[in-house]
Amino acid sequence: MNLKERLQKTLSENPFKGFFKKNRLRPPGARGEKQFMELCIRCARCIEVCPYDSIKRADLFEKLQIGTPYIFPEDRACYLCMKCPEVCPTGALDNKLFEPEKVNIGKAVISQEDCLNFIYFKEEETGKITGKAMICSTCYNVCPFTDEAIVMEKYILPVITEKCVGCGICVEKCPVKTTDGKAVNVVPTGMGNEKDAGYYYRRSKILKSDPQKYKDILKGDKLIEKKQNISTFGEKKQFKYDFEINTSIEGWEMNED
Amino acid sequence: MKIKTIRRSVQIAVFLGMFIVPVLNILEIYFIKGTFYSIDIGSIAMADPLAILQAVVASKMFTYSMFASLVIPVLLVLIFGRIWCSFMCPYYLVTEMIDSIKKKLKIKTKKTEYSDHLTVKTNMFRLGFLLFGLFVMGISGIPLLNLISAPGVISSQALVLVKFGYVTFEMAFIITLIVLEFFYYKFWCRYFCPTGSFLSLIGLKRLLKVEKVNENCSMCLSCIKTCPMAINPMKDGSSVACNNCGDCVDICPDNKKTPTLKFKI
Ligand code: SF4
Ligand code: SF4
Ligand code: SF4
Ligand code: SF4
Ligand code: SF4
Repeated sequence: MNLKERLQKTLSENPFKGFFKKNRLRPPGARGEKQFMELCIRCARCIEVCPYDSIKRADLFEKLQIGTPYIFPEDRACYLCMKCPEVCPTGALDNKLFEPEKVNIGKAVISQEDCLNFIYFKEEETGKITGKAMICSTCYNVCPFTDEAIVMEKYILPVITEKCVGCGICVEKCPVKTTDGKAVNVVPTGMGNEKDAGYYYRRSKILKSDPQKYKDILKGDKLIEKKQNISTFGEKKQFKYDFEINTSIEGWEMNED
Repeated sequence: MKIKTIRRSVQIAVFLGMFIVPVLNILEIYFIKGTFYSIDIGSIAMADPLAILQAVVASKMFTYSMFASLVIPVLLVLIFGRIWCSFMCPYYLVTEMIDSIKKKLKIKTKKTEYSDHLTVKTNMFRLGFLLFGLFVMGISGIPLLNLISAPGVISSQALVLVKFGYVTFEMAFIITLIVLEFFYYKFWCRYFCPTGSFLSLIGLKRLLKVEKVNENCSMCLSCIKTCPMAINPMKDGSSVACNNCGDCVDICPDNKKTPTLKFKI
């Protein structure tokens, strides 16, 4: 990091307004991290009311967030009883949130290298036996939104969908501990997944760095011009499908012009 | 009956309450829930006015529930003054305990001598510290002063202790205060505490105050000696420093004959 970047970082990032960590969540109904930090008066009422002892009071390790509520799903996940949003006196937690399925405190991410089911599947495919393989499916079984938040692909590979609310129950129960968390981890809302971050930015950098190679990729006005020229008439482009397509729709006349 | 008897009973009840309420909550009896930042009794909500002020300033939001939780505390202060401090605040009870320990051990710390300027100076300092605190809080953009709200920290630590069996680092602040308290008599309540300062600002024009109703008192000055806030109860009864603890009313020997130093509406 050069001096300019470092200055930018220290001056424009308010250390009081929170920083993110994997497997560290705000209670359900929490507003965006910035607004949450503005509103939370550290009264501990959400901590008090939680019947599962899921919410902990942040200690010194959380730096300036000390005293605010956090859920550490590796330790104890949120069981979505929805008692806590209601008691927050300042609305740092949305008082009107009662539906567990509308909670959005994070998204679980499965690490395909560590998940036992994925390893099992790979070994089946390649025939290389390591002895580690096991069918676990714990996350799928414990998720309160089975078949919605977690679906099984090919009947064996657990995949998280958009419906995941981030409760972290799968993290608490996953048997695989890795160097940073478990085989499934929750990324708190607002943190973003580091692997996807800056995708478009990186892509445009690649395009700029080697203009010769990407010269027939159209951009800006030229791209718009090209798109406007696409006509629905005339010769139809041929696409390859790996499934049968209907050439005509029953009851409709094919429009030959 | 002595005012102090009532005061001590309320204080002890509140202090024990800090530990009993979390137990009730663990048993899922949610009649009283909260800490001294914000507490609900039945469906009556109350909150520390300074905490709410900070949240409003930081977030630029003012919700109905925030407003509702201010009503009772503000009314209480407008009528009875800063009785929160003298009758309920757990930290105040702690300072009084420290004081009696010091007396038993015969540790003498010089209590600040009363003088005319002192009251003005103390008040200026307290309000200055409150303003400074609010300024820092404004820069940080979060309700930062809650970290040094002694009653709030004590009650939330009591909750964490009951619920999880440990305390967090915030306790270090309270311990520091307690240690310093042995050397500087009630320094936190008299000079620094933002919560108390803000309450006294609200109670600037309160109904209940200490007043000398009999001009011919024997001038024994025991009221001045006993006042924990180091003011002169005979004339500073309406000062922002007074927390209506009633120690001066209790001690005034002339009260036995004719009403001399009394609480007056
Ligand atoms: S929803 Fe229930 S289990 Fe989850 S954090 Fe809130 S109180 Fe605890
Ligand atoms: S109840 Fe609200 S204000 Fe109190 S600690 Fe929890 S999130 Fe913060
Ligand atoms: S619980 Fe963990 S190891 Fe088991 S299937 Fe889910 S992610 Fe894989
Ligand atoms: S996948 Fe299910 S169990 Fe895991 S965090 Fe999402 S909703 Fe909770
Ligand atoms: S000044 Fe502060 S610490 Fe002292 S009694 Fe009042 S609220 Fe409690």
